[in-house]
Amino acid sequence: MRTILRVDMSTLRVTSEPVPERWKDFGGRALTSAIVFEEVPADADPLGPANKLIIATGLLGGTTAPNGGRLSIGGKSPLTGGIKESNVGGQLGHTLGHLGIAAIVVEGAAKTGLYSLLIEADGSAKLERTDDWAMLGNYALADKIAATRPEGDRFATASIGPAGEKRLAAASIAVSDPKGYPNRHAGRGGLGAVMGSKGLKAVIASDRGVTGVPDHADKDAFVAATRKFATALREHPVSGEGLPTYGTQVLTNIINEAGGYPTRNFSAGQFEFASALSGENMREITLERGGNVKHGCHSGCVIQCSRYWYDKDGHYKTKGMEYESVWSLGADCGIGDLDDVAELDRACGDIGIDTIEMGATLAVYMESGALAFGDAKGALAALKQVGTDSELGTTLGSGAGATGKKFGVTRVPTVKNQAMPAYDPRPIQGIGVTYATSTMGADHTAGYAITANVLGVGGSVDPLKPEGQVALSQSLQIATAMLDAMGLCIFVAFPVLDKPEAFEAIVEMATAHTGKDWNADELMGLGKKVLTYERLFNNHAGFTAADDRLPAYMYTEKLPPHNVVFTVPDAELDTMYDFVDETAMALQIS
Amino acid sequence: MQIELALFAKLSARYPVPGSGREPRPLEIEDGTRVGALVERIGLAAEPRITFVNGRHAADDRLLAEGDRLAIFPPIAGG
Repeated sequence: MRTILRVDMSTLRVTSEPVPERWKDFGGRALTSAIVFEEVPADADPLGPANKLIIATGLLGGTTAPNGGRLSIGGKSPLTGGIKESNVGGQLGHTLGHLGIAAIVVEGAAKTGLYSLLIEADGSAKLERTDDWAMLGNYALADKIAATRPEGDRFATASIGPAGEKRLAAASIAVSDPKGYPNRHAGRGGLGAVMGSKGLKAVIASDRGVTGVPDHADKDAFVAATRKFATALREHPVSGEGLPTYGTQVLTNIINEAGGYPTRNFSAGQFEFASALSGENMREITLERGGNVKHGCHSGCVIQCSRYWYDKDGHYKTKGMEYESVWSLGADCGIGDLDDVAELDRACGDIGIDTIEMGATLAVYMESGALAFGDAKGALAALKQVGTDSELGTTLGSGAGATGKKFGVTRVPTVKNQAMPAYDPRPIQGIGVTYATSTMGADHTAGYAITANVLGVGGSVDPLKPEGQVALSQSLQIATAMLDAMGLCIFVAFPVLDKPEAFEAIVEMATAHTGKDWNADELMGLGKKVLTYERLFNNHAGFTAADDRLPAYMYTEKLPPHNVVFTVPDAELDTMYDFVDETAMALQIS
Repeated sequence: MQIELALFAKLSARYPVPGSGREPRPLEIEDGTRVGALVERIGLAAEPRITFVNGRHAADDRLLAEGDRLAIFPPIAGG
């Protein structure tokens, strides 16, 4: 039986309840968004006690489904003011799955003090006062936590750094990887600040000695489906070769080649030091220094795009920086050296702040003239103020939008106040549609239209033209919401888009695991339900069509080298959620 | 005439002419050469690939011109 663990920070009570019948087919993002929709008032203060922080494992969480251990963290975002699901790797998703916990719902707020939630392998759970962990960075905290655990324990964590405790709108939640490094982040949308507002510093969950759970409705069929899925992932050139060899950083050169690599606060689409930042270069340097170039961020991953970055002396510095982080802290700030980027990435990870938002924020700060583009030392010094009481740190930690307002910068690349990731929407119009319309604010993962626009995966469309982009983004947003509900890594989408047997395997895994007879339409229907909860919540929170637009300058300022602006008509953007009324009726919500 | 050839990821080991590491390099080709013919000449015809000329996707029948930049990637994705 799957359970929901309720953690009331106001009374410090922890209780467990079965997942209600109406949510029995929900996991991950479906569960976080349904709970936010039903239980959080749309006008709630994101940092007040009426907001909730929901940590949910996918429907396949805890199983041996390949790449099935992703974790969804949800709530009302202090950055966007709308609903948020921030998806993260690391080991906690599987740990919760092993314990039969579908979701942890953190509600209320501690009146005083700082607490951590301990969940033991026997299923018991309690809050412990951990005031002496206040203002620790994620790495020092990980050492403190490890020191409290018994010899031979197997545990995973979610934690916040100083940025979360300071309730900054760009604060992340760090999740531990299989080696215990707190280096996977639910970065987007400031959920670290929500956790901080509750007075919760860490979640520590042990699944030591727990085996053979969760049960499958049909174990043999489940095992057969997982084999079919793993084979499809291994045979596709993207998930079987490109990602394992170079990690997500494999994208740097191709996005730069396509002229869509945002440089110096989105003022150009190509960066002269892209080659130095590239995945090819990162792999060579990492191998020279004895770093790790291939592992999974959670057990059961067959793609293995994670790596560790070592410093010049051969010591672990940070995770192998992701494409988005290298872009934001690198090209967008005019910084072209991987060691400089690694220092910034480590600081973000330790302070507990989203690398995408932070890089975009530093670039806006640089555009104000306060700091020169390319000044890596200055950027690090500014970044290290985040999480302290300094005014600059508070401003930067509040994101690109707040920084633009504070310093009078009008070219701020945000949608719904969330910074755009590493693809300029002008020469790659499909991703612009996703940025504009996603319930999350500017978010590439919500509907990764780079596939057909640049990479030739799942068909192809002209990236400079508006034709076909809304339909592409809509189908990707629906499919992604489904994958997020299952707990599957979105990188499985590359083979799924190209190989029918990969999608079939998802249907078969879901059916064999749950006993419900899933089919393709029902899986896509699940994605539509997720988006419907999210869209309606945002409507109730006051969002209108005007919020589904890119910043004005992207419709008028031409981006070199292709010298194009964003041209997808507003009327087409406004058709994105044409399925919501029908889905809402079926869900009996409005 | 001369173009610039850039090969990426695992294809960077397949440059037909010497140069510096993974860096792009100039390549002499005959006037009237199309992308497909050049790809065949340098031994990449059998490789799945994503091909750009001057930052735009290019099909095999694209005619190359003096000073063009031809960039070839294996199938990749991420994000």
